[in-house]
Amino acid sequence: MRRAELVAPVAAILAALALSALLLLLLGANPVDALGALVKGAFGDRLALENTLVRMAPLLLIGAGISIAFRCGVWNIGGEGQLYAGALVATWVATRLLPGAEAVLLVPLVLLAGAAAGALWGGIAAGLRVGRGVSEVLSTILLNFIAVLGVAWAVHGPLQELSGAYPQSDTFPAAARLPMLPGSLRVHAGVLLAMVLPVAIWILLFRSAAGLRLRAVGLSPEASRYAGIYPLRETVRVLLISGGLAGLAGAVEVSGVTGRLFENLSPGYGFTGIAVALLARLHPLGVLPAALLFAALASGSGAMQRIAGVPAVTVQVIEAFVIFFSVGFALPRRNG
Amino acid sequence: MAFGAHAVPPGRRASIAARKRALADMLRGVGGTRNRVRPRASSCGIVFALAFGLTACGASPEPEAAFRVALLTPSSIRDAGWNQGAYEGLLKIKQELGAGVAHQETRTPQEFEVGFRDFAARGYQLVFGHGFEFQDAAATVAAEYPDTVFITTSGSIVRPNLAPMVFELEQATYVLGFVGASISRTGQLGCLGGIEIPSVASTFLAFEAGARSARPEVSVRVSYLGSWEDVAAAREATLALISAGSDVLIHNADAAARGFFQAAGEAGEVRVFGANRNQNELAPAVTLASATLDIPSAFVEVARSVKDGRFVARPIRLGLADGVVGIAWNPPLFAQLPEAVREAAQQLEGQISSGEFEVPRAGF
Repeated sequence: MRRAELVAPVAAILAALALSALLLLLLGANPVDALGALVKGAFGDRLALENTLVRMAPLLLIGAGISIAFRCGVWNIGGEGQLYAGALVATWVATRLLPGAEAVLLVPLVLLAGAAAGALWGGIAAGLRVGRGVSEVLSTILLNFIAVLGVAWAVHGPLQELSGAYPQSDTFPAAARLPMLPGSLRVHAGVLLAMVLPVAIWILLFRSAAGLRLRAVGLSPEASRYAGIYPLRETVRVLLISGGLAGLAGAVEVSGVTGRLFENLSPGYGFTGIAVALLARLHPLGVLPAALLFAALASGSGAMQRIAGVPAVTVQVIEAFVIFFSVGFALPRRNG
Repeated sequence: MAFGAHAVPPGRRASIAARKRALADMLRGVGGTRNRVRPRASSCGIVFALAFGLTACGASPEPEAAFRVALLTPSSIRDAGWNQGAYEGLLKIKQELGAGVAHQETRTPQEFEVGFRDFAARGYQLVFGHGFEFQDAAATVAAEYPDTVFITTSGSIVRPNLAPMVFELEQATYVLGFVGASISRTGQLGCLGGIEIPSVASTFLAFEAGARSARPEVSVRVSYLGSWEDVAAAREATLALISAGSDVLIHNADAAARGFFQAAGEAGEVRVFGANRNQNELAPAVTLASATLDIPSAFVEVARSVKDGRFVARPIRLGLADGVVGIAWNPPLFAQLPEAVREAAQQLEGQISSGEFEVPRAGF
């Protein structure tokens, strides 16, 4: 990554912070205290740091998937739905299909099932694109609603806990839970997995012939067709990959963090993942710091309410500033 | 493109080199005199001066009082209902007991746990989790911090430092169900819930039981939004209930209930009930009554017992008899009710309050 590539994302973050400070001032809060609380809530002690790392995992997976899709010119806006599809099927495997299996078998199966479900959900959009020419922007957005409502239906119906009290699934058996990393309370093995996979995506995208084809299609579908690449085939491939990563994020979330499925499982990871990818300028390795930033914002925002007394709505506005500026400043210039 | 001396002459495209030069000059501030960068730099300076000059007047930073109380709510405290009542309770604790207070809106079970743990770790003596859904997280954290008292408003889990405060809103919704069935033309009543949790389902169960006691053949439709905040979904769901034949409706949906009152106001030919606070003003033409809770007084009472060291962990049940639960009638609409219905409702309220009649509720 060239140095110039770093300027825009850093400028975006600084601009968002400056505007946030101004907003806090206008509201009569002390920006130094408030932003200090944000940092403290994200990195201040062990619990805070672990909370940030746990929130980073789904953003890494989805952000890496989005960056590879956007590089290929495929606008997959369906990360949220693919995450829910993955979480749903992972929960079904863990609580209904194989609740008695051994951990060595069950954890990988749960994760694979989630990834497969997410890939399938992305694959539906791919099928509509290939078969009917439906823009993936539309189909992936609409598939989000179906998956979110599908989870709502499942936890009120077939996957609801046997006691029937809450609209939520039964707790995962211990053998279906991702193990915690040694010495940590909340950081599960999925966080490591989520840190490794963007590297794999980077190798795929920049160090392999398949990645060259993907990028060629993103730069110019016409030219790549002359070069003997089928753009639609690459579209399908990339939707399967990014859908699979988002589905894996859903499986990691239920298996590593919540231990069960319920409505509103994701605080918008699928959409924040897009902002992560854009802030990373669609670079799979840039996703690592970008995801860390958004995870820190999310976990630090609670501390801003608790310590600095900043209302929740203000915190949401500040998060929106970062997203706004990362989209505005950090989008790679096309034809530039 | 007015960069002063290096401005590009009109009608001629600048070469890339020329543009770069113009930009570099602009950044150095040597271009012309009119469009210097300096004014911008000085405005930045003003911002920073403000930022560091006004550090004295924070919004409400970390309280330093000896007695400190915190509140976690499941959604916005501007809902004119369940959460607003709790926030008012927190402010009342601050006012009457001189406590330092803090609040956080929490949406997911992980946030519940992080919030409880963080407040307890920083030495808060009392933390409220406002709703049934906070129980599991409160029980987990209560075991780690024995010196902090945790109160969940609703629920049943009791630990040495954790107790539920149960508002018997069912006592009011039972009476409202009775009245609703008595005046319904269609014989169908509607309930709109936020998230399907036992404490909310229980208020509807009592509403239905009250309705059946007036008219055994009445039917009650229940619809859940899966959210405490989705106003648009609440409006759609309410319109759907009305078009399916419900002409008397009650909600228990927190901030989303704005959509409920909007839809009811549009439909006109219906009667609706508010919940958790006097909401009659939200749609005065159609809101017959509200099942109210005096959360602030209840909060102050429990906070006082914690402050004085008198707190004993046991379920705190509060109902009509304690004056914490109540029914606030909307006078003009109440006056339109048939005489017999008005009398029966007031008699029923008296029987429940005196303990003569026990309202059915979900066992949780």
